[in-house]
Amino acid sequence: MKNLKWRKWNNILHRDLGYLAVGLTIIYSISGIAVNHVEDWNPNYKIRHIPVKTTFFDEAPVQVLVSKVLTKINIAEKPESYFRPSPQELHLFFKNKTLKLNIARGTGEWEIVEKRPILYEFNYLHLNHAKKWWTYFADLYALILLFLAISGLFVLKGKNGLAGRGKWLTAIGIILPVIFLSV
Amino acid sequence: MLKTKWLIILLLLTFGLLSAQNWKTFGKELTLKDTTLISTILANPYAFIGKRVLVEGTVVDVCKKRGCWMELASDKEFQSIRVKVNDGEIVFPLEARGKLALIEGIVEKLEISKEELIKAMKHHAEEQGEPFDSTKITEGKTIYRLKGLVAKIQLD
Repeated sequence: MKNLKWRKWNNILHRDLGYLAVGLTIIYSISGIAVNHVEDWNPNYKIRHIPVKTTFFDEAPVQVLVSKVLTKINIAEKPESYFRPSPQELHLFFKNKTLKLNIARGTGEWEIVEKRPILYEFNYLHLNHAKKWWTYFADLYALILLFLAISGLFVLKGKNGLAGRGKWLTAIGIILPVIFLSV
Repeated sequence: MLKTKWLIILLLLTFGLLSAQNWKTFGKELTLKDTTLISTILANPYAFIGKRVLVEGTVVDVCKKRGCWMELASDKEFQSIRVKVNDGEIVFPLEARGKLALIEGIVEKLEISKEELIKAMKHHAEEQGEPFDSTKITEGKTIYRLKGLVAKIQLD
């Protein structure tokens, strides 16, 4: 009778906490795949480069230079700010894009940055960029996942439970990461 | 009628809160009140090594991959300082570029050998999607940067 009660509550909690965890598990899984491949791509931003070719510009006070560049390249938008990394270079910062120009050569590029919709937000949560109270919420989610993993072992009985096929599959799931760590 | 009234109040409050989010803080709160000019630090770095300073400047570059560093324009032309944070502790958004920032951090000195510099510049170029020519680096260098502890950035 005691066992029955224990298993009943195990399954109820596994079920209900499982439902609660669905949303975040989807978010963390998708984000996990995305950031796992951070060496191959930028999981947060899509960055495009568009070359620019224009005439060279004579040295001038930076405000004058900026005005000349905007006129010459036909840019109606006013830059939010600008910076000169060196006497030959001028960077103009606009909303979500930067114009990097070599004024001595008249060449450069637009760098256009776009957040990857949805994925940016998923990564924001998964990687805990929010910090503060989200840290504790994420800790709670981790504890729920831990519970789901352990309680899942005891949901079923018999040949499909831990005593049956379950022990083999669980063992494989543990041995594989150990092998990776040992190699 | 009452429900509509409360909904309007709630919407106005939310809008007000969202509009007030002009400066965003990364890390804990600023502890210093007075800023030090970046040009002053770079002109005499030995006077500042190991010291906690507050600097202000325009964000002119940000690590595209992990947001683990930003470059802050100095008050002096053609000059900037790197602000480095531990990966994951603070993540600077790319949207910070071109925006005004207040950074509190500790001034650090880094002696980098030629080989380390080539490795670091190659990594930087890969992160930023830029070409890299290792033959241009002929010797190591000494870098002064800030170990960032807190950042306040004037985002939209």
